[in-house]
Amino acid sequence: MIEMLNYPFMQRAFAAGLIIAILAAISGSFIVLRRYSLLSETLAHVSLVGVSIGILIGSNPLWMAIIASLVASWMIEYLRSVHHLYSDSILAIFLSGSLALAIIIVSLAGSFNASLFSYLFGSILSVTNEDLIIMAIAGTAGMALLLLFFKELYFIAFDEEVARASGIRVGLLNFMLVSVIAVIIALSIRVVGTLLIGALMVIPPVAAIRFGLGFFKTMLLSIAIALVSVIIGLSASFFFSLPSGAAIVLCLLLFFIAALVINLP
Amino acid sequence: MKFSPSLFEFHNVTLTRQDNEILKSVNCTVLKGEYCAIIGPNGGGKTTLIRLLMGLDKPTSGTIKLFGVEQHQFKAWHKIGYVPQRSALVDASFPATVREVVAMGRYALRGILSFESAEDKRIIEESMEQMAVSDLRDRLIGHLSGGQRQRVMIARALASHPEVLIVDEPNTGVDVESQHRFYELLRSLHKTRGISILFITHDVGVIAEDISKLFFVNQTLLVSQTPQEIVGCESISRLYGNPSHVLTHNH
Repeated sequence: MIEMLNYPFMQRAFAAGLIIAILAAISGSFIVLRRYSLLSETLAHVSLVGVSIGILIGSNPLWMAIIASLVASWMIEYLRSVHHLYSDSILAIFLSGSLALAIIIVSLAGSFNASLFSYLFGSILSVTNEDLIIMAIAGTAGMALLLLFFKELYFIAFDEEVARASGIRVGLLNFMLVSVIAVIIALSIRVVGTLLIGALMVIPPVAAIRFGLGFFKTMLLSIAIALVSVIIGLSASFFFSLPSGAAIVLCLLLFFIAALVINLP
Repeated sequence: MKFSPSLFEFHNVTLTRQDNEILKSVNCTVLKGEYCAIIGPNGGGKTTLIRLLMGLDKPTSGTIKLFGVEQHQFKAWHKIGYVPQRSALVDASFPATVREVVAMGRYALRGILSFESAEDKRIIEESMEQMAVSDLRDRLIGHLSGGQRQRVMIARALASHPEVLIVDEPNTGVDVESQHRFYELLRSLHKTRGISILFITHDVGVIAEDISKLFFVNQTLLVSQTPQEIVGCESISRLYGNPSHVLTHNH
């Protein structure tokens, strides 16, 4: 089984997958606790706009996905916090709107092909060295921000009003969190795919919460679930020629079902 | 005569939303060491007054000073322990232990990426002991009773070593026995730790004994005087606009 790591493309897929798993589990915990889970799904669809622009103009789709996802995250947070629009409504508008835009752009580019399919569902073959460098740089920056403001983000998730009254800069940190999530989602589309990344962010924390632990233990468990799922999913993808994103998500679902069964009320 | 510095000052504070005056020309001062209650009818602006004080809402006009400093320049928010309305109503599955919640009271005092210092740990333990929640430290906050959760929230507020504690309708969703214990606790914090107290209540009876100042809020601040002058049934009826009876509790 270990011989699969002799292949450079599998080394890249594992390196990328493990970076994504840790980042997705940590940032996902915050959005789940804030009942903002649909954000990951929405930004994943927005990333597809970036990918399609990248395909259209012949630029690296990953960079374009990061830019599109970041801009959309700021617009969503601006509409939510300044215009006080309902979060779920804004997300629904961005989700369907961005998907429509991506389809139009891809149609114009005549690029409904295998390349686009890999962005939708993830592919272990698609991670390039350049992608890995972008993931390492952006992933490190995202992780640093999450760790720097970890306790403040936790306080905001628990009680935003008291956090604000304690002098914590809630507005700024909310923008930072959505920005980090936007980048993580854009980075994830190579391995997990735009249609499935939401699951990698949401299922690990939701499964971990079922065990009734404190926040730090819940987050550690969430990271463990994400890491194991990525390892099993990528391996299954290699051995059975499955789309990597789908294999990872099915593994996550098994963890979720196990967590439900173990912790039946 | 001993000089008491002001904790909070409202100068002609008005809040208007969509042409409705929520609060109009509020002027009041809370001094260090005072034990104050805010009463008034529902929708009268009690919570809004506190939200303005905490900077959660911005006044349309007027100025607010905290510890003698203009609110927009005020940085020492840890001096104010704030327990908002319904703060004890926590999602049952939220992954937060009692200790983690109390530790949040220290967050604003710690730098970024800092770990709990020995002093942080001592103060967290002290706050939990003071509120008699040490035994619950590893329990999830959402699994506690309303009264226990309320004590945890006060412990969190105390962990920042505040000079004043602001509590908004502390007894929402809490049984009568816990309410009695809660008011006893507020008195004890005021007397033994010298913490100034400002709390919103509907329970006019509990304020009769030892409140040093009473605010009646109904769109504007109508009364600011000693409770002995206001808790008579006739005064309360006049202020609320309908016949009222004061029920006192034996604390």
